[in-house]
Amino acid sequence: MAKQWTPQEQMLLRMTSEFTANEIAPLDLQIDHAGRYPDGLFEQVVATGFLSVMLPHEFGGAGFGPEVTAEVVRRVAEGNASMAATLEGHYKTVYQMLKYGTPALQAKYFPTAGQRIFGFGMTEPTGGSNPMSIRTTAVRQGSDWVLNGNKIMITNGGLAEVYCVLAKTGPQELSVFVVDQDMPGFAFGKRENFIGLRGTPVGEIFMNDVRVSDDYLLGKVGQGGEIGDSAHDDARILMGAVLTGIMDHALGLATSYAKERKAGSTPIGELGSIQRKLADIAMGRETTRLLYQNAAALHAAGQPYSEEATMAKAYGSRTAVAACDDALQVFGGYGYSRDYPLAHLIADARALEIAEGTVEKMRAAIAAAELAK
Amino acid sequence: MKIVVCIKQVPESNNVKFDPVTHNLMRGGMSGRINPFDKNAIEAALRLRDAVGGEVALLSMGPDSTAEILRDGLAMGADSAYLLSSRAFAGADTLSTGYVLAQAVRQIGNVDLTLLGRQAVDADTGQVGPIMAVNLNQPQATYATQLTANGNQLTVVRDLDSLTQTVELPLPAVITVRAEANTPRYETPLHIQQSFEKQVTIWRDTDLDLDPEKLGQKGSPTVVRKVYAPEAKTRAQTALPSEPAAAVDQLLVIMQQHGLI
Amino acid sequence: MTEAIWIVAEREPARINPVTFQLITKAKAIAKGKKVVVVLLEAPDQQFEQAISEYGPDEILLGQNVAYAQASDEVMAGALTTLAREYQPNAVLFGATPLGRSIAPRVQAALQTGLTADCLDFFYEDDLLVQVKPSYGDNVMCEITCPDRRPQMASVRPNTFAAEKVAGAMPAITPVEVAQTTGPQGRVVDETVRVSHATGIASANKVLALGRGAATPADIANAREIASRLGASVGVSRPLTDLPDFTVEQQIGQSGTTIAPDFLLNLGVSGATQFIVGMTQAKLVVSVNRDAQAPIFAQSDYTFTGDAAAFITALKQRMN
Repeated sequence: MAKQWTPQEQMLLRMTSEFTANEIAPLDLQIDHAGRYPDGLFEQVVATGFLSVMLPHEFGGAGFGPEVTAEVVRRVAEGNASMAATLEGHYKTVYQMLKYGTPALQAKYFPTAGQRIFGFGMTEPTGGSNPMSIRTTAVRQGSDWVLNGNKIMITNGGLAEVYCVLAKTGPQELSVFVVDQDMPGFAFGKRENFIGLRGTPVGEIFMNDVRVSDDYLLGKVGQGGEIGDSAHDDARILMGAVLTGIMDHALGLATSYAKERKAGSTPIGELGSIQRKLADIAMGRETTRLLYQNAAALHAAGQPYSEEATMAKAYGSRTAVAACDDALQVFGGYGYSRDYPLAHLIADARALEIAEGTVEKMRAAIAAAELAK
Repeated sequence: MKIVVCIKQVPESNNVKFDPVTHNLMRGGMSGRINPFDKNAIEAALRLRDAVGGEVALLSMGPDSTAEILRDGLAMGADSAYLLSSRAFAGADTLSTGYVLAQAVRQIGNVDLTLLGRQAVDADTGQVGPIMAVNLNQPQATYATQLTANGNQLTVVRDLDSLTQTVELPLPAVITVRAEANTPRYETPLHIQQSFEKQVTIWRDTDLDLDPEKLGQKGSPTVVRKVYAPEAKTRAQTALPSEPAAAVDQLLVIMQQHGLI
Repeated sequence: MTEAIWIVAEREPARINPVTFQLITKAKAIAKGKKVVVVLLEAPDQQFEQAISEYGPDEILLGQNVAYAQASDEVMAGALTTLAREYQPNAVLFGATPLGRSIAPRVQAALQTGLTADCLDFFYEDDLLVQVKPSYGDNVMCEITCPDRRPQMASVRPNTFAAEKVAGAMPAITPVEVAQTTGPQGRVVDETVRVSHATGIASANKVLALGRGAATPADIANAREIASRLGASVGVSRPLTDLPDFTVEQQIGQSGTTIAPDFLLNLGVSGATQFIVGMTQAKLVVSVNRDAQAPIFAQSDYTFTGDAAAFITALKQRMN
C-alpha cells in the first residue's frame, strides 16, 4: 500500500524535489567529472537544513521519521547519487549516536549535527571480513581512553568533522568511540579515487594517542559489534533509497530518449527490444523501492528490520547496476559517452555492491537469518 | 521592524484551458502555489528582519485553502500569518482587494513596512501594492531590487527597465519587489515542522473595520465582460525554395522589394 | 466641454518614452469625437511638448515645475489626481511601463475608479472604453470595462501600436498649475539611465531571432555576422537566455521584450505562445525551422522548412 505522507512530510518532499531539480541535478555530470562537489553546493545543502531532517526536535532538528528520511534520500539520489550517499553516511552515524550515545555526548555534538557532517569509520587497511582483526585500539588510562589506529574508506571522510570509530578494547572486545577533528592526535589521510559516487568524499583518518573520556564511548564496552551491525542496517535502508533514486534517474533518461529517438520514422520506444529493457528497469526500481520502504516502515514501527534492510541493499545494488546497464544500451553509443550520465550511474550503483557489507556477506547474513527461523 | 508581506495563491501553471463547448475558463482541479514573485518579497522581508531585527507577518486574501501558501511562507521562516477569507470579498478587483488588505494591515497594527511581489503571474496587474499605499497614506517604491534599512527610512533601488532609480522612503511604506532582488530561500525541514505548529489567524469581513460598499463585486469598478482564448491570426506562409541557396536568393529579393536592403 | 481621453506622457530623463506617441496615434483612431489630450509634467527646461506635438494630440496640458525633474511616484500621482479631479477626463491612459504601472494605480485608488493593466487593445462602445487585457501569461484574453465610474483608466503595453506623426500638427498647449503634493513621500536621490545593450531589440528595425534550432556557437557567430551586415539586432527565444551569450535583454516575448521591427528573421525558433506575443507587430516575418508543423510558421509571411544552420551558412556566403 502506498505510504500516505503527512502534510509536513509532503512539504518536506516537495521542497526536496524542488531543491534537487534546481540546485543538484543540473550539476550531476559536473560532479562526476570533477570528482567533487562544486564550491557552495554542499554549503547550500547544509544551509537548507538537510543534515537535520531526522535529528529529533529536542536537539534542534526537524525530527522527521525514518520513512520520509529515506524518501528524501531517494529524491536527492534521483538528481545526484553522490549527494544522497553523503546524506546517507551522516544519517546512519547520527542514528547510532542517538541510539547509543550518552546524554553528555548528545549534548556536546547534536547541537551542531545540522551544520556539520558525522561519519562512521570501521574499515582498516589490513581489513578482512572479521571485525576482530582490526588494529585500532582504545586503552584505559586513568578514567580516559586513548585511541590509536587508522580507518579508511569512510563515507564523507575528510568532509565529516565528527567520527564514530570501531576500536578494540580487549583481545576479543569491540567498542565504538566518538572522536572529532579538533582533538589532539586526530589527522586526515588520503581520499580514495573511486570510479563511482565521485562526489562523495571517501577518506581516511588517523588517531595518534587521541584521548577521550567515558562520555565518548558509544553504548557499553564490548557493544561495538552490535553498534556496527546497527549502523549497517540503517545504512542499508538508505542505500536502498539511493539505489532506487539511481534507477529513477536511469529510467527517466531512458524513457525520454526512447520517446524522442527515432529508428526511421518510429520512436525506438515502440520497439519490443527497447520496451523490454524499460520494463525491466521499472520492475527493478519498484522492487527495490518496496524492499527499502518496508525496512524503513519496520524501523519506524520499532520492529526488527536488519534482514529486510540487508535485502534492500543486496537486491537493489545488483539490480541497479543491471538497470543502468540496460539504460545505457537504450542510448546506444551516446550511453557509452561520459557526456551522458549512464556511465557514472552504473559506477555509482556498483559502489553499493561493496560498501556497508559486500553482497556476498549480505547473502550469508540473509541465509543465516532464514536458517535460524 | 514589523513587516507584513502580502502573498497570493496562483494556479500551478498558466496553461489554462477553455471548455470547448461553453468557452469558459476551466480552472477546476488546478492546485495552487504561492505567486513566485511573492517569494522574493518574503525573502526581502526575512533579510531585513535578520539585519535589523523585528518580525515578519504574512497576509493573504482568498478561500480557506489559501492557508497552504501561508504555511509555505511560514516554512521559509516568517513569524506569523493572517488569512482574509469571506464570501463578502468574492469578486473583488484590485481596488477592493487593495482596500481590504490595507485595512488588515491597519488591524495588525504598528506595521513599518508592507512588501509585495512585483505582480501576480496570473492576472499580471501589479496594482495592489500602490493601491494599498494610497489607502494607508504611505509612500511606495515599486519594482525594487535593493532594500537597505537606514534608521527610520529605507533606501530602495528600483529597476524601472529603462531607468534605475534610488529612493529614500520614510517609514511606514509599501514596496513591491522584483525577482532580481534576491534568490528566495527554500523552506527548511525545521521551519516546515514549526510552520505546522503556528496558527494561521483567519479574519472574516466582520473581524475588520470595513466599508461594505467597498467590498467584493460591489466595491469593484471593473467588470470582466468576456474571457476568451487569444485569436490565432495567421500570415501568408509562402514557402521559400527548398534549397538553402535558392531560398536565400529569394529572401534577398523580397527584402529588396520591401526596401530593407 | 468635450470629454477627453488623457494620455499621461511618460518622461524619461532625456526623452519621452515612445509608448506615449503610440498611445496618441491609437487614441486618435478610436476617439469618436473625444479630444485626445496629453498630460505632460516636466521640469521647466525640458520642453518635451514639442516632440509630443508632432504626433497631433488635440491639446497638451503642460505642468512645469522643478519638482518634476526627479519626482517620486507620490508627487507624480498627486499632481495627476489633482488635475483629473479638476478636468474630469473620460479616460486616462498610461504606458504599461514600470513607471506607468506604478503611478496609474495610485491615481486610480485616489479617484476610486477602475484600472486595467497592460492592455493589448482598447476601443469605445458608445461611452464605454472596452479594454482588452491578457491574463495567465497571455494564454487568456479578457475584455474589461468600468461601467459606473470615471475616468476609465488603463495602462497599455508598449510597442502594441504604431506611432504616426501628423504633418503640421499644432495642438493647443494649456499651462496648468498644480499645488505641491503633500503627505508622506519618497525622495528620489538618484536616477541613472540604464545603458541599453548595443543591440537593443525593442527599437530595432531589423531583428534576427535565434531559437533552439540555431544555438550552436557557430550558428550564433554566423548570425551575428549577418546581423551586422544587415544592420539588424540579434534577439533570442527564452531557452537561449540560458546560454552565456545572451540574457533576458535579448529575449523576445512575453517575459522579455515586445518587438515591432520592419523585418524579423526567425532562425530555429519553434514559436511558443510566449515568443509569438512578443513579435506580432513585426511587419515582414520570415521563419526557418526544421519542423514543418512549428507554430512559428503560422505567424510568418515566408517560410523555409529545413536546417537553420544550413540556411544561416547559405545566407552568410551570399552576403560575402
